[in-house]
Amino acid sequence: MTNHDLNDGSAVKHRHRHEGPQKHIIAFVFSIILTLIAFATVAAGGVNIAFTVLLLLVMAVLQVLVQLGYWMHLKDKGHMMPILFMAGGFFVAGLAIIAALYWMWW
Amino acid sequence: MAHAHSVKRHKGLMDWLTTVDHKKIAILYLVAGGLFFGIGGIEALMIRVQLAKPMNDFVTAQQFNELITMHGTTMIFLGVMPIIFALMNAVVPLQIGARDVAFPFLNSLGFWTFLFGGLLLNLSWVMGGAPDAGWTSYTPLSSSTYSTTHGVDFYTIGLQIAGLGTLIGGINFLATIITMRAPGMSFMRMPMFTWTAFVTSAMILFAFPAVTVGLVLLTFDRILGANFFDVAQGGNPVLWQHIFWIFGHPEVYILILPAFGIISEVVSTFSRKRLFGYSSMVFATILIAFLGFMVWAHHMFTTGMGPVANALFSIATMLIAVPTGIKIFNWLFTMWGGQITFNTANLFAAGFIPTFVMGGVTGVMLASAPADYQYHDTYFVVAHFHYVIVGGLVLGLFAGLHYWWPKMFGRVLNEGLGKLEFWTFIIGFHLTFFIQHFLGLIGMQRRVFTYLPNQGFDLMNLISTIGAFLMGVGVIVFLINIAISFKQPKGVDGDVWKDGRTLEWAIPSPPPEYNFKQTPLVRGIDAFWKEKMAGNKEMTPAEPVGPIHMPSPTILPFVMSVGLFIAGLGFMFTNDDFGNSLLNFLFGNYIITGIGLAITFGSMLLRSLFDDHGWHVEPEELNDKGVKA
Repeated sequence: MTNHDLNDGSAVKHRHRHEGPQKHIIAFVFSIILTLIAFATVAAGGVNIAFTVLLLLVMAVLQVLVQLGYWMHLKDKGHMMPILFMAGGFFVAGLAIIAALYWMWW
Repeated sequence: MAHAHSVKRHKGLMDWLTTVDHKKIAILYLVAGGLFFGIGGIEALMIRVQLAKPMNDFVTAQQFNELITMHGTTMIFLGVMPIIFALMNAVVPLQIGARDVAFPFLNSLGFWTFLFGGLLLNLSWVMGGAPDAGWTSYTPLSSSTYSTTHGVDFYTIGLQIAGLGTLIGGINFLATIITMRAPGMSFMRMPMFTWTAFVTSAMILFAFPAVTVGLVLLTFDRILGANFFDVAQGGNPVLWQHIFWIFGHPEVYILILPAFGIISEVVSTFSRKRLFGYSSMVFATILIAFLGFMVWAHHMFTTGMGPVANALFSIATMLIAVPTGIKIFNWLFTMWGGQITFNTANLFAAGFIPTFVMGGVTGVMLASAPADYQYHDTYFVVAHFHYVIVGGLVLGLFAGLHYWWPKMFGRVLNEGLGKLEFWTFIIGFHLTFFIQHFLGLIGMQRRVFTYLPNQGFDLMNLISTIGAFLMGVGVIVFLINIAISFKQPKGVDGDVWKDGRTLEWAIPSPPPEYNFKQTPLVRGIDAFWKEKMAGNKEMTPAEPVGPIHMPSPTILPFVMSVGLFIAGLGFMFTNDDFGNSLLNFLFGNYIITGIGLAITFGSMLLRSLFDDHGWHVEPEELNDKGVKA
């Protein structure tokens, strides 16, 4: 019986265990640092509002990249399709939101 | 034998309610889609009867509005989309050498949510009036201020549930095509229909969330008193138009791309030639999908977006003519020098090409923003979109149905009746819609329920109505053909056209439940043709004969959809006064809605708690059936 690995998730788990925790620890620390920078900028006060908003946006984008790359495994091999479709989704949604808002309210 | 335990097999009606087999779900989609197609067709005939002569009183203005709204909505969402899904279900897993789709349970769920959404929408006819704000349901006309019946609520909630089914189906086909191709079938070896099914599914994934959001906003506006589209409260009615067309324009490419795929298969098979320019066809398909997301505002040239926006969307729209042109020429070059057989399927394909070009040309005319101010909301637009949707998609679907009918049902359709169907349908089609271009150009507006005599509209409208009935005759001939075909014994030759090129023709008709006894090894584009040319009678297997794992049938998708149906119906009547305290209590406190949702989520819980181990078809059973790989 060859097709009996239905409930056998062990094969999948093993593959991820080989990676080791170092990269995940680095990613974890990195995302904490990003969060701290964002919080600190706001908490410090007195920073130029435009600069704060810009910085928060940059931190947010970096945070998303770290999350997707390390925790959602998009940096690993064989994730071309998820990346392609997520990029497509971002493109379509972004285009639609920006264009529709622009032509309605500005 | 750990899995020798027998799974409960159902018979008769229960078999159809519980099936997760993609081939049976295809038939369910076809029957349900055909039913709604018939309803939409009858609505179309009633519209044409009303417009046959000036100042006609066959229906009232209100009934006419309901008819046009339901004709458009039914045809697009409940008629042609399910028939597309029927063909995708019937063919795509076979073409890629798979034994089923990636998520058989979801496949069934997608069908049942679509069906119950469609039933909910059509229930409006007997529950206080159908939607009457046009298939686009523009605000403020569709707001509770101007549309006081429950019609538009049936539209928003019915489409929401049906749209859920489409989204589920789209995701399922993406996963199937990405992960379940047979060994050797790279993306650039996939048959063209599978390619278009793939791109269409991706477009569904990106486009349907927009309409989901739009319908939620409109539902909130109407039932919960929100103000998204209410100018007086700071909302914006143009927002609906943007959201609707951000979905709506990709939707028309979602419809037409599978037709392109069907035509590619049919033309290539019956020309006995490889599809000309396969890679450019793939490229053109992807390009159309990509551009399809950047042109939505060409439906809104007259809303006052300004010259810059209009110019940009004009150019983007005209650009789509380029990949479409690539496709047209590739089909012509495929036919050129081929040994062409003009059977019914190929007649529909050959009829498709010039008809679709005509629709495309008027599309480019409409894309010119200054000219569009003249065409907008006239019968010119009606003629254009019927040329691309009926002359394009529906002719394509007929070609596909005649082509794959033997594969789906194991019986061939009669050629004589098929040709009669083709000629009545296509002559009727051109009679109906060609003349509407001129009706539009001389100033007849769309969506008017009648017109005054002696404006030059009278004769042309009468001709159009006659053509519509001729199309009806064509469809009836098709139904007669189907009825006759079921008198044949089941089981025609697997490669019934003798020139089958793709994997579905390498297995019996209709295919066994597990499709392929052994997964085939794909050695090139047009995999089956390649083996035949190499002198082989069958595909080279890629695996030894072994037990085949199959998913278990389940009633849960049906129950989940019933739950959504009840929840939707309950939510719609939240604010109604029934003059009965019990009913007011049940609906006003969301109790009916709650019961419906409890059924749906309860079923989901059951599905999560109890593992479905499936069952196996053992090798001995395979040999009994004498199936070749």
